[in-house]
Amino acid sequence: MKSTALIKPYFIENRVPIFFGLVCLIIVDLLQLFIPRILKWAIDDLTALQIDSKGLFFYSAWMVGIALMIGIFRYLWRRCLLGTSRRVEEGLRNRFFAHIQILSVSYFDKAKTGDLMAHATNDIQQIRMATGMGMVALNDSIVLGMASIGFMAYINIKLTLLVLIPMPLIVMGTLFFSKKMHKRYMEVQGAFSDLTEVVRERFAGIRIIKAYNLQSFETKKVEVISKKYVNKNLGLVKIVGSFFPMMLLFSNISLAIVLYFGGRQAILLTITPGDFVAFLSYLGILTWPMMALGWVTNLIQRGRASLDRLNRILQIQPEIADMPDAKPVHRIKGGIIFENVSYSYKRDVFPVLSKIDINLEPGKILGIVGPPGSGKTTFLSLIPRLYDVSHGRILLDNKDVKSIQISGLRSRISFVSQEPFLFAGTVRENIALGNNNIKKDELIRASALASLYETIKSFPDGFDTVTGEKGVILSGGQKQRIALARAFLQDTPILILDDPISQVDLETGALIIQSIRAMAGKRTVIIVSHRLSAVMLADQIITLDKGSIVESGTHARLMENNRYYAKTFRLQEIEEGLGA
Amino acid sequence: MKTDFGYFEEQKLGKPYDVRLLRRLYPYAVPYKVMLFWSIILIICITLLDLSLPYVTKIAIDRYIVPQTDAIKARLTKGPESKSRYLIADISDPEIRIVVNKYRELFTIKETDARISYEKLGSLEKEDLAVLRKDDFAGLGVLTAIFLVIILVNFGLSFIQKMIMEYAGYMIMHDLRMKLFAQIQKLSIEFFTKNPVGRLVTRVTNDIQNMHELFTSVISIVFKDLFLLLGIAIVLISMNWKLAIVSFMVLPFVLYASIVFSGRAREVFRDLRIKVAEINTRFSETIEGIRVIQLFRCEENNFHNFKGLNHENYLAGMRQIRVLAAFMPLIEILGVFAVALVIFYGGNNVISGGLSLGALVAFVAYIKMFFRPIRDLAEKYNILQNAMASAERIFLLLDSRSMLPQVAFGSQNSASNLNVIKEISFENVSFNYVPGEIVLSGISFKVGEGEILAVVGPTGSGKTSLINLITRFYDPVSGLVCINGRDIREFETSIFRSKMALVMQEPFLFSGTVRENILKGKKDLSEQELENILKVSNCKDFIDRLPEGLDTMLVSGGASISSGERQLVSIAKAFAGDPQLILFDEATSFIDSQTEIEIQKALNNLMNRRTSIIVAHRLSTIRSADKIIVLSKGRIIETGTHSKLMDKKGFYFKLNQLQNQTASASILH
Repeated sequence: MKSTALIKPYFIENRVPIFFGLVCLIIVDLLQLFIPRILKWAIDDLTALQIDSKGLFFYSAWMVGIALMIGIFRYLWRRCLLGTSRRVEEGLRNRFFAHIQILSVSYFDKAKTGDLMAHATNDIQQIRMATGMGMVALNDSIVLGMASIGFMAYINIKLTLLVLIPMPLIVMGTLFFSKKMHKRYMEVQGAFSDLTEVVRERFAGIRIIKAYNLQSFETKKVEVISKKYVNKNLGLVKIVGSFFPMMLLFSNISLAIVLYFGGRQAILLTITPGDFVAFLSYLGILTWPMMALGWVTNLIQRGRASLDRLNRILQIQPEIADMPDAKPVHRIKGGIIFENVSYSYKRDVFPVLSKIDINLEPGKILGIVGPPGSGKTTFLSLIPRLYDVSHGRILLDNKDVKSIQISGLRSRISFVSQEPFLFAGTVRENIALGNNNIKKDELIRASALASLYETIKSFPDGFDTVTGEKGVILSGGQKQRIALARAFLQDTPILILDDPISQVDLETGALIIQSIRAMAGKRTVIIVSHRLSAVMLADQIITLDKGSIVESGTHARLMENNRYYAKTFRLQEIEEGLGA
Repeated sequence: MKTDFGYFEEQKLGKPYDVRLLRRLYPYAVPYKVMLFWSIILIICITLLDLSLPYVTKIAIDRYIVPQTDAIKARLTKGPESKSRYLIADISDPEIRIVVNKYRELFTIKETDARISYEKLGSLEKEDLAVLRKDDFAGLGVLTAIFLVIILVNFGLSFIQKMIMEYAGYMIMHDLRMKLFAQIQKLSIEFFTKNPVGRLVTRVTNDIQNMHELFTSVISIVFKDLFLLLGIAIVLISMNWKLAIVSFMVLPFVLYASIVFSGRAREVFRDLRIKVAEINTRFSETIEGIRVIQLFRCEENNFHNFKGLNHENYLAGMRQIRVLAAFMPLIEILGVFAVALVIFYGGNNVISGGLSLGALVAFVAYIKMFFRPIRDLAEKYNILQNAMASAERIFLLLDSRSMLPQVAFGSQNSASNLNVIKEISFENVSFNYVPGEIVLSGISFKVGEGEILAVVGPTGSGKTSLINLITRFYDPVSGLVCINGRDIREFETSIFRSKMALVMQEPFLFSGTVRENILKGKKDLSEQELENILKVSNCKDFIDRLPEGLDTMLVSGGASISSGERQLVSIAKAFAGDPQLILFDEATSFIDSQTEIEIQKALNNLMNRRTSIIVAHRLSTIRSADKIIVLSKGRIIETGTHSKLMDKKGFYFKLNQLQNQTASASILH
């Protein structure tokens, strides 16, 4: 798809104001041409001394009247045309936001937040400028350009043709420079993205920067990127800085042509000196459209560069989408089967998971343990289709998860991520997540299950406590329990917990595990934990290592096995004074 | 309207003080004053060249094309019998003599000059006329050549001026950006909990960018336009001061309109600046929370919220259009009004004979010229308003004093030399984030060199806050945090932080290679040492599995490796700094017990003579600690070694029992 197709719908949607605005703009242009006429009449009448004070007042009043009309129409076109550009801005940004939200998680593994932020503000603003002022400048250069060329042709066609000699140069120059401008604007916008990201990352990691005294080190990093941004801009200025004077140069060359050839013709009396002077003044009018043309080229190239950048992201299809014949889910019992499942993030690297076979019956609990990087989180992410399996398949109630509508699938799963993510908002908002008609007792029930209710009660504002960005004002354990309450609030047949008690103390952890265990039979639970107390009661426990299941069975079986699980268990057991 | 997402609102700003803002910006321009000076000189040259072009045209017309009587008396003299113009031909030139001889009857010959009436020129053949006026052709050619030279020079100067100006502008922006960035970095952690990252990023990127035009186009246009304005005003006054004053009558209105609109425009621009920051914040939050959004299917709700915010931005934008759409035409109307005044008043003078018609025409032409720079200035005035709205926000940050006082006790008294951290002690420390909500209270303890202190306690009991006080992210409300017995506030933060290593609960890695993340600018580490660090921090295994090993690029947030692996990298980073004090704030929560034990061993070996303070939930981690502090609700409820605490059969014992119970319950199960 061409990137210009992106803004087309907004032009169509706003065709009435655009049309009206352009008409107003043309009226303004024509009225502006009219004022010198009145001036001429007034001067002519004064020359002939055929006018009195009243007549002069009449002319002056006319001028003021026309000026008022110009003012009104100018106000109208500004509102219509620039207003449309604001619509384009709003629409594109909404579209961009909506698009970002449907992209797969794998996209965000690579994407840079700052880069996307730059797209959402800087680039979309550039597009707005290009559409708004671009339309105006384009219209002006066409209308005024045509008008002045028309007037000139009326006086002398041959001279007009001579004046237009630089035209092909202008067209060629514009094309040449447009290409360069577009490329350089892409670079400048890209550098702006980098700058946004480098700054964002530093502020996000401010604690590490402070703790490790990295201020000057990180400042240097930002400085490098900021310098790069400056250099890219200066590279662009070389083009733009020569382009604008060049447009003026070309229109001045036209003036020189008129001076020489028109002057000769006037000397030879082919044209009258009056014609010559008039010709010169119309050429003067042509200067603005020429400048506007330069301006419009610049604006449009900048907008196009941004549009191309935006389009590049909008073109990305979510890797994970509903199959055309995906079916909605109705009732789910919660049986989960992994059939020979393998997964790798990139084709050429080690598989993160390989040949996983699991059969988990509804209402059962699966516990997963294993060293860091063994694929536990990936395993969990495959079930709600945050990623799709590379090989094999995952069955939910004997149906391939890929054949189920994603929203339906996810609505049957409650998922607690390893690192809890909180939105800026209140505790209530973070637990309810947009579900505004949640009842207070449901909130209490969910937070009680997560051993959170007592904590919330201790907050002066209770559920209305503001959490700050990413929950900065809360402790790690509090954030984790909010994420748990969020999952418990939803009564789904499947519950997936990724290391859910890693940041809470033992006592609280034990209470949470009790809550989870009480769900056995009603919900299928998959739980990853490094604390074996959380998984030991599972119906089935697997140990993952380097992407493969190295052992599986019940606690008792694995203890007999005397491998990773048993070793870890003993470590925790002995170290924690459990004794034999 | 619901766009407050629980952040601290941005401060509303009062009356704008542009002059003060400009004065504050001035120091940033000083390093480039030579450039700016030359740029202004060039602007003046360019303006002069611009103005000279019509003059060249005028000379061409007056001297060669339509010779005027007064302009070239030498060449045209009035004939005795009529008032018509004559063209004088020099018949000493043989070519001209041939032409003159051809049309003898049209010429009157006087010595070497042949005169021909201007009206009769039309009856000559074109070629003959060309021969007759070849000097005019030559003159025209010369003038055209001059004209071409001027426009080429103008082109060259414009380019140079633009380059100088843009260079200076971008460098000033760069300097300002770096200053702002460095300043924000200095602000206290508390500041960062109140300001979302998106907002701060907007200030450093979009807002600085917004000010760029202030330094480039505005400065050049203002100088050029003011220069023009002054010149034309002088011309107008010298031509006819009464008429000039009449036409200047509109100027107070222009001024008044500018002031009224600037106030309104500023409000709108301020709104826009805030909205842009909010949009950035929403984007950043959505991107980082995308998993939760998708898993909990909040897309629609989140989109709805964003749409509301985006629409507010649109409405602010429309307000801006409305304000400016009224302002610009108003200035134009005032311009035409001035012309109308001149026509009316001046025309009456012409009628009464007080003014020549030519003077009136010239006056009108100049008045029109006069209003062009005014319009330009008005246009730039808006850019200025926009830039000022950004400048206000930027200076607000630069002025922010929300940092912790540095070396509060005069320099001679300050303990600038800290070689070894021998002891960390808390003396009756109390702390809260919000007054009234006690986080820590009456905390006292000591950790000596080479000791391991473990901090345990339920979530929210103040463990992380305690660590935050040691790194001096915050200052205690009362009591003292001491290093080697001296108040921590007597040291420069960089001095003691450089001897500490903090591993946080949520590992944060920067985008870059694994190596960069571990070394963080330290170059004096040999490959062998690095290898060793990787081994003891248990990173080696997984790094070997990465496609490019240590040089594998991590994206920000480090999504490409698992949380546990990120903790391992953070631990490696801590080791790489060769710190004297290690602070582990649940640094191993995402790591399994076996790996943890190995890291523990490394800590014990590596941390010989090094002090460590460890916060952990899994009791296995802390068993070998020299001292254990049990925190509950911000107070120390128990202290001692593992065995001592177990004997005490208090809270710690209970915690252990609990783990015991869950474990044994399962065995029975």
